[in-house]
Amino acid sequence: MALEAGRISRFQVIMLMVGFIFGTSVIVSPARSAGHDAWIANLIGIMEALLIAGVFCALANQFKDKTLVEINDLVYGRILGKAFSLIFIWYLFHLSALVLTVFSRFFVTEIYLATPKTVILIVFIAVCASTVGRGLEVLARCSMVLISLCILVIINDAFLAIPTMDIKNLLPIVDIPVEKLLWAAHSAATFPFAETVAFTMIFAFMNNHKGRYAPLAMAILIAGLTLTLAVARNSLVLGSMESAFEYPTYLAIQMIDIGDTLSRLEVVVAIFFIFSGFIKVSVLLYGTVLGLAQVFKLRSYRPVIIPVGILMIILALTNVGSSTELYAFVNNEFPIYSLPWVFGIPLLTLIVAKLRKLPQTGGDQL
Amino acid sequence: MKKKKQLRMFAVAMLLTSLSAFISGCWDSHDLNKSAITAGIGFDIDPKTGEHLITYQTIIPSKVKSSSAGSSDEQTGGGIAPAVNLDHLKGTTWLEALGNYGTQENRSVFFSHNQLDIMGKEVAKQGVYPVIEHAARITQSRPNNLLLIAQDKASDIMAARDGMDVIPAIGIANEVKQSAEFSKFPAVTRLEFANRLMSKTTAPILPIIGIFEETAPEGKTFNKVRIKGTAVFKWDKMVGELNEQESRGLLWVTNKIKKGFVVIDAPDGSGKASLTITQAKSKIIPQLTDGKITINVVIEEQGDLIEYKGSKDMDVILLKQFEERQDEAIQNEVMAALNKSLALNADVFGFGEAVHRKYKKEWQDISSRWDEIYLDIEVAIQVKTHINETGDISKAIIPQ
Repeated sequence: MALEAGRISRFQVIMLMVGFIFGTSVIVSPARSAGHDAWIANLIGIMEALLIAGVFCALANQFKDKTLVEINDLVYGRILGKAFSLIFIWYLFHLSALVLTVFSRFFVTEIYLATPKTVILIVFIAVCASTVGRGLEVLARCSMVLISLCILVIINDAFLAIPTMDIKNLLPIVDIPVEKLLWAAHSAATFPFAETVAFTMIFAFMNNHKGRYAPLAMAILIAGLTLTLAVARNSLVLGSMESAFEYPTYLAIQMIDIGDTLSRLEVVVAIFFIFSGFIKVSVLLYGTVLGLAQVFKLRSYRPVIIPVGILMIILALTNVGSSTELYAFVNNEFPIYSLPWVFGIPLLTLIVAKLRKLPQTGGDQL
Repeated sequence: MKKKKQLRMFAVAMLLTSLSAFISGCWDSHDLNKSAITAGIGFDIDPKTGEHLITYQTIIPSKVKSSSAGSSDEQTGGGIAPAVNLDHLKGTTWLEALGNYGTQENRSVFFSHNQLDIMGKEVAKQGVYPVIEHAARITQSRPNNLLLIAQDKASDIMAARDGMDVIPAIGIANEVKQSAEFSKFPAVTRLEFANRLMSKTTAPILPIIGIFEETAPEGKTFNKVRIKGTAVFKWDKMVGELNEQESRGLLWVTNKIKKGFVVIDAPDGSGKASLTITQAKSKIIPQLTDGKITINVVIEEQGDLIEYKGSKDMDVILLKQFEERQDEAIQNEVMAALNKSLALNADVFGFGEAVHRKYKKEWQDISSRWDEIYLDIEVAIQVKTHINETGDISKAIIPQ
């Protein structure tokens, strides 16, 4: 019996990816180190991500009905392939823990000041685990509803914030050295956009195999442009203080005040943050448990969901000591750290596969 | 089978109902009867001992309703009985003072509905940065709180009873917003102030509020809380203030004029005439030639004539003369503000940031010497005004 019986459509995979990219980026806006030029850095980052995505999409297109774990087995053989798969699963697992860290830290700083992080994480993971246990189709259907709402809310907030905006806050354009701008662009490319490499675990379950690059590029563009709008809104509303605030999006939305009636919207928006975070963590959790089940040839991935979830919570609680440490890692180390997974290993696998003339027709039994 | 389904439905319903209990988060529930909602906060420093003094004006929810519905017979001075409680807290730092709240009240402070922060004169003299900094760090406080400087002590303003609002701090906040709406004094939020603090050249500004004794016609005196000027800061220390005319000049340049009136001498010598502002726009255009900075301030204004005591009928030539007088009046206000800002050597208009926006390459050099540069920049003020309407009448109401 196959581990995953569900099949998802092209549109569902796009929405899933948009939600995945929103993930933490709606809270911690990408390319923040570029100051008020973050929107430019973001646009450059989108282009870089489209290039990076080309590599792992080519790999996924090569093996249409295989997840990355199965591809590794075919390309590198049983033992080396499993090693590569486990390295990739670590990326998903670690990324998920990072996302959980960002969420728990955001909520204890801004909303649930007295609630322990553990409680927030347990509730969060419980919902994700229950969704993952119900299969990919359920998750994909959730994303259609939740993420289309998210896109609407972000665009809507940008309009509501217009009265508090000052166009002068974006001037002068490119006020920082070019190398800094490019670094910010690169961090935007690796932080939300190229993380879609996680979908190499999911592409295999699309109900048509016409090619994965088009939906991925579409998702990166939709999510990227929406995020660029959000980033520009933050700078326009908050001015130079944007760089001082830890969670500028939340603060920018606090500034919305239309006629003393439409104000204090930030908690409503925080609910939409949770939606996108839920999609991201669920996709990563799904990828991790499916990968583990395939590596260890389990009959079902369901028994490992809860243990993996608990391990994610533990890593999320212990990986960083403070928010300062977390954002130092996200801004300075992560853009380099994640390169092997989003670019290096997929490229290597692709080259080896080409050299070995894989996939051979009819040779897809495992 | 049907019974099993019913049982399942019941279980789901029970689960959903019990979930609602957790929505507020058990640790973070704020009960109305256990929290003290602050409406305004005053910050003072004792000049002799250096002790920090915070004054909280907290809302008494039960009283808000009764006093707004009831009559104002229990009043002591002017205004109606306020529905607030005052607390004075002392400490060596602001947070230590806040921590002492528990020792004198049975509730915990809740900042989310805070309207304004008022800083005393001594705080302005010693530097407002610690106040701004700690307020920005506290999650509950919002970046669009209004900031004010007290003419003397902030605690006096917090204690003053005046106006028509049962919560005086909200009254003061509305007063500030009204004064900005009628283009008298700037209304400055904490975010705007912080942005000016972060700028290398722009001098922060805040409205000054004070208590003034006024005499009613029947001889009774009462206290009025009133905005009287604009405080000018050099980084976080107050260095001077702009009076009413200079504050208006500042608003003209910074494009903050909304409504309001321009009073001029009528061109036919019939005394004062008033015009109401219907639209105003201004632009700061910097020009850098051979290291010399010229700032062009272009102000475009449209107004209506609403008061004219003269005997002449309106015609195009007379209107033109009115426009010229209006140009002149606006120019005078701007000049007054400019002269004061040069005297204080404080760039209240944000000329420096305008240069930054246009000349980012030269900025590094300019910003490091801005204090010297500012004193010899050339400012050209260009005012274009237009009178659209003259109200309901176009002829003078006198026998022909």
